[in-house]
Amino acid sequence: MDVNYVGEHLLPGQIGQFFIVLSFGAALLSFISYFFATKYPEENSWKKIARIAFWTNAVSVVAIGATLFYIIYNHLFEYNYAWAHSSKTLPTYYIISSFWEGQEGSFWLWMFWQTVLGSVLLFKAKSWESSVMTFVMLCQAFLASMIIGVEIFGLRIGSSPFILLREAMDIPIFREANYLSLITDGNGLNPLLQNYWMVIHPPTLFLGFASMIVPFAYATGALWTKRYKEWINAALPWALFAVMILGAGIIMGSFWAYEALNFGGFWAWDPVENASIIPWFTLIAAVHVMIAYKNSGHSYFTATFLAMISFVLVIYASYLTRSGVLGETSVHSFTDLGMSGQLILFNVVFLVIMVVFLTVKKKEMPITEKDEDIYSREFWMFIGALVLTVACAQIIASTSIPVFNKIFGTKVAPPLDPIQHYNKWQSGFAVIVMILTGFTQFLKYKRTDSRKFLASTVASLVVSLILTAAVVYFTKTYTNLIYILITFASIFCILANIRVLGDAVKGKWKLAGSSVAHIGFGLLLIGAMVAAATNEVISVNNTGYIAVSGFDKVEKPGDNLFLTEGEPVQMGEYKITYIGDSIVAPNTFYKIKYERIDEETGKVKEHFVLQPFAQNNAKMGGLIGTPATKHYVTHDVYTLITAAAAESQATHAKVPAEDKTGFEDYEEPATYQVNIGDTLRYRNGYYVIEGLNKEAHLEKIPKGPSDVMVGLKIKVFSADNKQYEVQPIYLIKDGGVYDFNKDVNEQGLKFRFTGIKPDKDKLEIMVYQKPLPEKKWVVFKAIKFPYINFFWCGTIVMTIGFIMSIVRRNKEEKRKALK
Amino acid sequence: MKKSSIILIAIIAVAIAMILVIYTDSSTYSTFSEAKEKKTELYVVGQLNKDKALHYDPKTDANKFSFFMRDNDGTECEVIFRGAKPQDIERSEQIVLTGKMDGNVFRASKILMKCPSKYNDKSVVTEINATAFNN
Repeated sequence: MDVNYVGEHLLPGQIGQFFIVLSFGAALLSFISYFFATKYPEENSWKKIARIAFWTNAVSVVAIGATLFYIIYNHLFEYNYAWAHSSKTLPTYYIISSFWEGQEGSFWLWMFWQTVLGSVLLFKAKSWESSVMTFVMLCQAFLASMIIGVEIFGLRIGSSPFILLREAMDIPIFREANYLSLITDGNGLNPLLQNYWMVIHPPTLFLGFASMIVPFAYATGALWTKRYKEWINAALPWALFAVMILGAGIIMGSFWAYEALNFGGFWAWDPVENASIIPWFTLIAAVHVMIAYKNSGHSYFTATFLAMISFVLVIYASYLTRSGVLGETSVHSFTDLGMSGQLILFNVVFLVIMVVFLTVKKKEMPITEKDEDIYSREFWMFIGALVLTVACAQIIASTSIPVFNKIFGTKVAPPLDPIQHYNKWQSGFAVIVMILTGFTQFLKYKRTDSRKFLASTVASLVVSLILTAAVVYFTKTYTNLIYILITFASIFCILANIRVLGDAVKGKWKLAGSSVAHIGFGLLLIGAMVAAATNEVISVNNTGYIAVSGFDKVEKPGDNLFLTEGEPVQMGEYKITYIGDSIVAPNTFYKIKYERIDEETGKVKEHFVLQPFAQNNAKMGGLIGTPATKHYVTHDVYTLITAAAAESQATHAKVPAEDKTGFEDYEEPATYQVNIGDTLRYRNGYYVIEGLNKEAHLEKIPKGPSDVMVGLKIKVFSADNKQYEVQPIYLIKDGGVYDFNKDVNEQGLKFRFTGIKPDKDKLEIMVYQKPLPEKKWVVFKAIKFPYINFFWCGTIVMTIGFIMSIVRRNKEEKRKALK
Repeated sequence: MKKSSIILIAIIAVAIAMILVIYTDSSTYSTFSEAKEKKTELYVVGQLNKDKALHYDPKTDANKFSFFMRDNDGTECEVIFRGAKPQDIERSEQIVLTGKMDGNVFRASKILMKCPSKYNDKSVVTEINATAFNN
C-alpha cells in the first residue's frame, strides 16, 4: 500500500537525480566523441559534440552540487544524506564540511574539480585537447557512475546522495504518513570534523587528486597520437601543480590531525594518510624524471611510466579508503557503500590502459642509446626517482596487507607498531633522497667537471657536518643515529640548494623555484624528525604516587593526569590548575591554567590558559576531545581532555524549574529542639538562635485575629567569617499548622521552624544541608612538541618553490609554442 | 648494458628483498591462549564481555582501565589498558587489541574498536593508544 507522506520536499531530489544521470550520460558521450575526434582529427563534428557534452556535464555537476547544498542547508532531513551528515545546530561553514563527510559528496568534489580542470584544458590545451580530454572524460564518467545510484539488472550501481531516508532504511516509523514530524534533527557531523581545517583540507586534497589525471592524460595521449616528445613540456606545469596542491592538502590534513584529532601528532602512518602520500611520491619522482628527459633525452620510458602510474595509484588509494577493505586497520577510512566492485573496475580500466599503451608503444618510444655520464645531473635525478619509487613500494606493500588478505584469504596482521615500522624504512630512504637532492645541485646536465663537483660537494659536506652537530646538540637528539643522519642529509640538501639560490640572485632565476622547494622540503623533514624524535608526554604525575600497587612495578605511571577543580598539580616545569569550564553548546571548554614559577623567588614567570574542549556526543560515542595548543617559537604544548566528570557535562540538561520541590538538592534533614541563645554547628560554620519575632508577617497571607505567626531569628556565621540572617516562620491559621522555610543559599542551608513545644519550653527546627558539591575533575594528557615550526615553515617554503617552478615551466612552454 | 639499467635491476632487487622483510614485521591475529604461550607483543581479536563490569576510576588511577574480553575461540581474559577508558567501548561489536600476556591478564597497549553507528549498520573504527608503551 502506498502511503501519502506529508511534508516531503521531493522536487530537489528529483532535480538532483536528473542531473546525476545527465552528467553520467554527458560524460560518456563526451568521452566517446573525444575518442573519435582524436582518431579522426579531420572531422570537426566529433570535437563539436564532445565540447557540447563536456559543457552539459559541467552544468550538471554544478547543478548536483547546488541541489545537494540546498538540501543540506535547508535541513531537509527526508534526504538520507542531509540527515546522516548534518544537523540544525551546525554553523554554515561546517555545513560545507558535512557536504563532503560522506563518500557521495567527496566523489562530487572530485568531479567538480575535474570539471574545473577540464574547462581550463578546453581553452589551454590547443592541439592536445582531444586526446587529453578523452581520458579526463572517461574518468569523469566513472566518477558519475559512483553516485548514480540506479539499479540495472538487479545490480545497484553507485550510491546517490539524493535517496530519501525512508528508502535508505526500513524501520516502522516510515509507515506513518507524517513520519517527518518525528525526525526533528539530523545525525550531525562527527565532532572531529568540526574544525576549520576540514572546510579546506578535503577540497585541496581532492583538487590534488583530480589534477593528477592531467599528466596521465598527456602521457597516454602522447603515446596514442605518437607525439612522443612534446607532451613533457605541456604536462610539466600540470604535474608541478598537482604535486604542489596534493602536498599542501596532505600537510593540511596533518595540521588537522595535529589540531583536532586526538591521536597526538601530525603523522601516524594511518592507511588513509598513506593512501594520499603514495601518489605524491610517484608524481614527485615523475616530475624529476620528466625534467631530466627534457634536458638530456634520457629516461623517456620512466617519465611516462611514473606519470601514468601516479594516477592509477590515485584510484587505488580511493579504493583503499572507500571500499571498507581497511576496516580493521584504519581509524578514518570510509565504510563500504557496496561499490568496491565498481572501484576495482575503475582501477583495472586505467591500469589496463597504462599497461597496454606502455607495452604496445614500447618500441616506438624515443630511447637514447648513449650511456649517461656518472657526472651528470640526469643520471642522479633518475636514481633519486627510483629511490622514491622504492620508498613508495614499501608504503604500498605494508598498507595493502588487508588487500592481500582479501585476495589470498590469508590472515596476516599489519605490523604491531606501524609508526615505527614505516619510520624505520622511510627514514633510510629519506637520507638517500636528501643526499641525492643535495649533491645533484652541483652537477650539470650531460657532463660536469668532476674536480669542481667534488670540491663544492666536499665543502658543503663539511659545513653540513658542523651545522648538524649544532642542531643535534640543541635538540638533544644525539642518541638516535637515524635522526642524526636525516638531520645531516637535510641540512646538506638545504645548503646545496641555498648555493643555487645564491646563483639565482646573481641572475640565474630559472633555477630558483626548484631550490626553494628543495629547501622547504629539507626544513619540513628536519621539523618532522625533531618533533617526532623529541616530543614527550609531559602530563606525567610528578608525585611518583601510583595508585595501584603491583601492576605498576614494571610500568611507568601513565600519561594521563587527574586534575580536580581548583587544586594545582606540578607537572614538569608547569604548575597546572583546572580552573573551571564553560559551555558553548555543544562543546564544553575546560580551562586549564599553566603557570611557570621561578623556583627561587616564587614569582610567576609565565602563565597562560589553554581551553581544550570536548563534546559529549552520544550519537558519536561519548566524550570526544579536541586538543588546545600553546604555540611557542621553539615548541608547542598540546593538551587534550581524555575524561571528565559526568557532572560538568550534565549541566546541559537542567531540570525545569517548575518541576522542583525545593528539597531534592538537600540531604536528609536534622531536627533539633533548641532554646533562644543556643549555638549549633553545621558543616561550614555555626548558627545562633537569636530570638523569636512575634511581629513576623508574610506577604499575601494576612494574619487573622486568632492566628499565631512567629518568626525565628537565626544568625549564621560561616567559616569564612560571613554572616547571614534568616527567619523561618511558624504559623497556626484557622486551626491548621504551617511552616515557611528560609534558605541561606550561599551556605547551602535551609531552615524550617516546625514547632513550639511549650511543655518542654523548646522550639523545634529542621535544618537541611546541601551535600558538598562533588568537585569537578578532568583527566588530560599533555605533549610537548619541540621545533614543530620547522615543519609548518618548510611546508610554506616548499609550496612557494612549487609556484615559482610552475610559473617558469609555463613560460617555457609558451615560449616554445610561440616559436 | 647501460649504467641506469644495471642500477634499475639492483634497485628492483632491493625492493623485492624489502617487501619480503616487511612481512617479517607483520604478524598474525591470535588468541589469548597463543598469547599466553608466546609472551610476545601480538594482536588479539574478540568481543567485549558486556556482562562483566568495566573498571575505570580516574580518581584513583587515571591511567588504568580494565575489562573482560572473549577472543574468537571463546576464551575469556581480563584486559588491562594503561590509559583512559575509550569512550565508546560498551557499544563495540569487535575489538582488536595489541599487547601481551602478563600472568593471567592481557596488557593492552592499543585498542582498536569497531562500533555500530546508532542509526544504521555502518561501523565506525576507533583506535586508542596507551602511550606508556610507546616510550
